Amino acid sequence: MDMNLKIHRFVEGKKWVQDYKLTVKTGMTVLEALTEVKEKQDPTLSFTCSCRSSICGACAVRVNGNAELSCEVLVETLMKRYKTDTLVIEPLGNFKVIRDLVVDWDPKYATIKKIKPVIEPKKEFSLETGCKQSPEEFNKFKKYAKCILCGSCVSECNKSALNQEDFLSPFVFVKAERLVADSRNRSPQEQLKAIVEAGLWRCFNCQECTAKCPKGLDPAGAIEKLKESTFAHKLDDNVGARHAKAIYDDISDSGTLDESKLNIKSEGLIMAALRAPMAVRLMRTGKMNPMNGHPVNPEIETIRKIVKNAEAASKEAE
Amino acid sequence: MSFLHVKLGLKVEKETVSLTSNEEEYYMSNGISRRTFLMGAAAAGVAIAAGTYFSWNGKNIPEEVKKGDVTYDVLVIGSGGAGMRAALAAAENKGLKVAVMTKLQPTRSASTMAQGGMNGVTKVTDKEDSVESHMFDTIKGGDYLCDQDAVEYFAENAGKNIYEMDYMGFPYNRQKDGCFHQRKMGGHAHARASYFEDRAGHAMVHTLFEQCLNHGIDFISECIMLEISMNGDNLNGVIAMDMRSGNILGIPAKTIIIATGGYGRAYWVRTSNPYSSTGDGIVAGMNVGIPFKDPEMVQFHPTGLSANGVLLSESSRAEGAILVNKNGERFMAKYAPEKKELATRDIVARAIATEIEEGRGIGEGIRAGVYMDFRPIPPERIRERLGQVWELSKRFAGVDITKEPVPISPTCHYSMGGLEMADFHTGASRVKGIYVAGECSCVSVHGANRLGANSLSEVLVFGHTAGDGAAAFAKSNNYAGSQDKLAEDCSRWKDTFEEVTNRRRTVGKTVPEIRDAMVNTMWFKAGVFRDEQHLTEASKELEALEKEYSHCYVGDNSHVFNTAFYQYIELGNLLQISHAIVQGALARKESRGGHSRRDYPKRDDKNFLKHTLIFKDKKTGKYRAEYKDVVITKYQPKERKY
Ligand SMILES: Cc1cc2nc3c(=O)[nH]c(=O)nc-3n(C[C@H](O)[C@H](O)[C@H](O)COP(=O)(O)OP(=O)(O)OC[C@H]3O[C@@H](n4cnc5c(N)ncnc54)[C@H](O)[C@@H]3O)c2cc1C
Ligand code: SF4
Ligand code: SF4
Ligand code: FES
Repeated sequence: MDMNLKIHRFVEGKKWVQDYKLTVKTGMTVLEALTEVKEKQDPTLSFTCSCRSSICGACAVRVNGNAELSCEVLVETLMKRYKTDTLVIEPLGNFKVIRDLVVDWDPKYATIKKIKPVIEPKKEFSLETGCKQSPEEFNKFKKYAKCILCGSCVSECNKSALNQEDFLSPFVFVKAERLVADSRNRSPQEQLKAIVEAGLWRCFNCQECTAKCPKGLDPAGAIEKLKESTFAHKLDDNVGARHAKAIYDDISDSGTLDESKLNIKSEGLIMAALRAPMAVRLMRTGKMNPMNGHPVNPEIETIRKIVKNAEAASKEAE
Repeated sequence: MSFLHVKLGLKVEKETVSLTSNEEEYYMSNGISRRTFLMGAAAAGVAIAAGTYFSWNGKNIPEEVKKGDVTYDVLVIGSGGAGMRAALAAAENKGLKVAVMTKLQPTRSASTMAQGGMNGVTKVTDKEDSVESHMFDTIKGGDYLCDQDAVEYFAENAGKNIYEMDYMGFPYNRQKDGCFHQRKMGGHAHARASYFEDRAGHAMVHTLFEQCLNHGIDFISECIMLEISMNGDNLNGVIAMDMRSGNILGIPAKTIIIATGGYGRAYWVRTSNPYSSTGDGIVAGMNVGIPFKDPEMVQFHPTGLSANGVLLSESSRAEGAILVNKNGERFMAKYAPEKKELATRDIVARAIATEIEEGRGIGEGIRAGVYMDFRPIPPERIRERLGQVWELSKRFAGVDITKEPVPISPTCHYSMGGLEMADFHTGASRVKGIYVAGECSCVSVHGANRLGANSLSEVLVFGHTAGDGAAAFAKSNNYAGSQDKLAEDCSRWKDTFEEVTNRRRTVGKTVPEIRDAMVNTMWFKAGVFRDEQHLTEASKELEALEKEYSHCYVGDNSHVFNTAFYQYIELGNLLQISHAIVQGALARKESRGGHSRRDYPKRDDKNFLKHTLIFKDKKTGKYRAEYKDVVITKYQPKERKY
């Protein structure tokens, strides 16, 4: 069986799409296909990989618009999924491209630093005798310790596409939840504060990250857990949290959004941004239509704009 | 920042890619040839800009390094467990400048791939465990080629490092009393391997990385070390290439710690190792006079997927998976009546190879294998403890291990040999200022065969030790290197880059072609079983390949992220490593641990209870073997039985 690869090339400022033809072998991963191109057809094609067993995170690329770990996903599977013999391969989204499929991770590492990415062990623990933790406590965070820093989640994140400056990449929230939920940690408040400041409430809750994570880690779920933790740790006196709660209750109670409750100024923005995609989804399912409501809120125009942006963003992602 | 124009006598070629107008203006107005200039400031650093593409804006390299404004006290090469543990230890000394260089991103290494766990005597799970027992198991497992004083130091410190990792946040699987749980690995008398599911290495690397980020340790990422620069007996620093700009850097350092990992890629597809395990640091070390100790000691892990060499963790067998041949026979009882599947790796690997050779295997050629059957293990336990193994089998072999057995065969897994560590209390090599740690080093703790979960603990113990050792040296010594020599070495590499990457297609074979030939030689003639005739052939074939390598085709002359050049460098290193493996294997006329000679099937303590030291002659480039006695303290060599 033959296949076509359309690879997005970018070398020293020049951009083009290059076609390659290959014979598909059984069990051939996308990474193997790329490797075959590099070794047999075009040594200039550049990409990164290390473990070829989906644990190092080096090889994520976009195939037909979706982030994939190239060493993990079989060419055949994708050809079946998209019912095509042509796969379009691009670098991950929301990253600066260095060359071809190689992207720049440094800004992402810099954001990890923002959350103080280590636990502060409780007083009773020590370097010499380690820590104690029950299997149940361990189970609470173990899932989130599995992030491989592959970047698939960021690639399709709608909030990151709009603006990454005031937000953390989804995997940073995963890391954060791993630290916050770790019973050894004496001061999760510290992390939570940093996370709130770094954009916890700005997530659109569009679930793209969760859909794309090859390790099934559910970054969006981690974000929800972190939000819950801010309440548990009494960090809920920030506007985002307060209004989120009010409106969340409102929507989940009645299925509609009472715009009169959006009586806030700048905080309204955060709120709207927070819930807008959910509003969009609800609108689509016909549950509500805030656009036709009676605007008693002076901020409603801004909110509408944000709802529109969010809608546009989520369309783009489709 | 000052720019020094150094006349290197190179022709300035016409640029094809335009610079930004600022850059253009700057270089024009300063009359500097864009292709060849040196940036050097008050400090000793040197950088040769590659020329066509001045993209210095990557944050992968600290500003100070780009400007040549820093001399590192401790420069660690390699960001695996050993490198990052060393950097953390060194950085505990306030005021020391410490950095970690890696050719990839920091969390991508062989360490990340380790599955089973890391050993250390803590007695939390098995009260009967003891340092003596860990020591004895390691020595016996290593077929008595271990230096016993070093093993004692290792076993004494391994437990401590496990507790430290707990405190740093390693996500250990727990037992009821709240302690981390330990499991028993092949060749060990007690349960002493702590773990995170079957992702122990991943958890270790991320824990260390987070600690490094939090401690503000400099990372010099996507930067490949090309050589160590010396001025006589004094260390100048390291010559490296920034992958993003193609710029050649001369980074001055008082001490360096080589932690570049193993050389399993000499067997290319038949290895569990990542693409990056190409022995770069070992070759760089040999070039400055550090001997390559016991290079022939390569471990073949018994259970790689037949499909592609990817490892199925040792914990598979620890949890109860069994090995079965074509006829449905559980054959390990024939080879190791007592321990069966839990015998050491070398024994199990040879058992499988023998089954295949004698016609009881499945499949053919490089993919022939036997079955590993997980069905004796309850499916819940597979899901809970062997998640990764399940995933890998499903994907690459299309097998659900809770329902069917999966085809496996030996795969090159670990490099016991490495740069000689001259002093295991400090991690120092025999060259002043150069320290070694982790898989690229040979302490020697693992002797002729490493036991499961002993490597991650080695990485922690000796990473820690080397970090302390290098820091102590840096505190009491001044920088004694030469900036001129550093600059000279930089410009030589710059020339190499230009020459090599601009060769035409007609010159010779491609890098992958030569590499594939090398693998055939290594797998079939210096693999699980060896003998005089095949090794001699291998030696000749490698020589021929080196000739071809000298005029091979690279095919990419871009300065930006030139992975073709990078692979060219790696192949050059692998060829030298392969030579050393074959040389060591030829000279060792006995079978011991991972080294199995058909023509000398017995261990020969009278003649070979000693380490091979391969030196590379600085002038002629020829290899020379010397020997060094094994240190025996408590345990006299006995025949190994499992
Ligand atoms: C699949 C697999 C499973 C394993 N399971 C276990 C286990 O369960 N228990 C156990 O104890 N051990 C295990 N091991 C072995 C163990 O993982 C390694 O031996 C150990 O992690 C080596 O660590 P290291 O820090 O020495 O080197 P590595 O982790 O290999 O790191 C080397 C570093 O050096 C860098 N580098 C290399 N060359 C250059 C260069 N030229 N310039 C700049 N940087 C360079 C690399 O980028 C990398 O960062 C396993 C290994 C594999 C492959
Ligand atoms: S749910 Fe939030 S973090 Fe995840 S992709 Fe959507 S906006 Fe990004
Ligand atoms: S959260 Fe998932 S998708 Fe995102 S980096 Fe981690 S493993 Fe990759
Ligand atoms: S190469 Fe490591 S995750 Fe794919």
